[in-house]
Amino acid sequence: MLNLRRAVVECKTDAARHAGLPPQRRNGNNPAPVTAPDDIADAAPLLQLTDLSRRLAGREVVRGVNLALARGEVLGLLGVNGAGKSTTLRMIAGVLAPTSGSVRIDGDDLYDDPSIARRRIGYLPERAPLHPELTVAEYLRFCARLRGLANAEATTAVAREIERCDLGDVRRRLIGQLSKGYQQRVGIAQALLHAPPLIVLDEPASGLDPVQAIRMRELVRSLRANHAVLLSTHLLAEAEAGCDRIAILHRGELRHAMIVQPGETARLEQLFLRIASDVALPAEPHA
Amino acid sequence: MSASLVIARHEVRRLIVQPWSWGLMAAAVALLAYQFLIALDRFLQLAPKLAAAPDGAGATDIVAASMFSAYANLLLFLVPLLSMRTIAGERRQHSLTLLLAAGVGNGAIVFGKWLGVMAWLVLLTALVALMPLSLVAGTALDLGRVGAALLGLVLQAGLLAAIGVMASAWTAQPALAAAVAIAINLFLTLVDAGARLQGVSNGAINWLAVTSHIEPPFRGIVASVDIAYFVILGAVALALAANRLDALRSAD
Repeated sequence: MLNLRRAVVECKTDAARHAGLPPQRRNGNNPAPVTAPDDIADAAPLLQLTDLSRRLAGREVVRGVNLALARGEVLGLLGVNGAGKSTTLRMIAGVLAPTSGSVRIDGDDLYDDPSIARRRIGYLPERAPLHPELTVAEYLRFCARLRGLANAEATTAVAREIERCDLGDVRRRLIGQLSKGYQQRVGIAQALLHAPPLIVLDEPASGLDPVQAIRMRELVRSLRANHAVLLSTHLLAEAEAGCDRIAILHRGELRHAMIVQPGETARLEQLFLRIASDVALPAEPHA
Repeated sequence: MSASLVIARHEVRRLIVQPWSWGLMAAAVALLAYQFLIALDRFLQLAPKLAAAPDGAGATDIVAASMFSAYANLLLFLVPLLSMRTIAGERRQHSLTLLLAAGVGNGAIVFGKWLGVMAWLVLLTALVALMPLSLVAGTALDLGRVGAALLGLVLQAGLLAAIGVMASAWTAQPALAAAVAIAINLFLTLVDAGARLQGVSNGAINWLAVTSHIEPPFRGIVASVDIAYFVILGAVALALAANRLDALRSAD
């Protein structure tokens, strides 16, 4: 994992840019075995996007995105509304097939075998996919079973996530009656039940009040130990506070990928605003 | 398959916890109970005359058959109301992604939804069947014929549920899905009406009509051609629904 962090890679064009990956892994054909021991899996990227593109309604929403993510990392996908964040995440989650390019999880192409998504990806879409007429426990149990967990495993997993996401007080309440913050937490619990190595969260803090947003950030940070987390946001502060790396997406292209370092807020903010307002980027002094 | 069963069980649970599905079942049972009592009353009035005729109609013809045909007609409207939410409702409340992102195939999703609706319909059919079967205590009922009719009703319910799920996949508005499904059901019921009027009862258009396949079971005839009709049309509807789900993956 350390080698992933070694350099800041600047991406100023739409050409392929691999965020912080050593050159030998850039072809995306990394044959990392599914059951690799942790040390090997750590070295190889868990998630590898290669030239990911998607057209929707005749418009190229995502163009040639290259990105890699290792276990133990939290990557923030930053961009203004309409930058293509959700579309990118939908492709990574296995919901939307890319027009071209590939999504590889542990070296396996997600769209060659969509069932990979069942156990290896946890996904919280922009709006939490909840069934308001069910109780929290009933809903989570269904999600666990849907992901292929056996009866006993599902019971354990539901209890574990209710504990982790702090849902104990509301486990028997109907989801439709919960506040937005609780609902969002149920959505996150749903994405964690089957202990997937990759967790994809689309704007997890949207609509939360400041206190809830901080708790959400803590929850995401606590996931870092065992999972790779990819989250999207349009708030720079949120990305900076919760992520190890930030990738800036604009008009469907990955424009900038960098490791979050303390004290860089002002520079980052300026950069983000420049990208977001389509101002040409000045030459960066970074090597 | 296991994913389909999980989805089906979930669908049933969602129906169980919502009052409207019980209300719908209660209304259907009440309506049919009323028809049952009317048919029974008619039978009791006619009984002395029928007993005098050597080949007169019995309770099975007058009570059971008339009630089952009323139930068959009711299903044309009831099933779309039940199935309209299966996919359209999920789209409207933005929860379809849960199924799409779970690595479960489109076919398995659609089949699970269908299975959930069917479980509810089989329960309703069992409740409806109890009414004529209660006559067993007092009269000789042709149980073979009742069994054939029930099989026909379940097959018809299966086809209508498949059409309902298909319509539900086509639109994001449950009410519109119900309207589309009712329109298709009425089309399948009335498509050969003109041909029948002209005396044609054996053409391809008659084969397409649902009525020409539900009447034989009501007369006690279980023919493979009728079973094949329900299975083929139902499978086509579910395949179209799965196909539509595939297109939905690309929609926002």
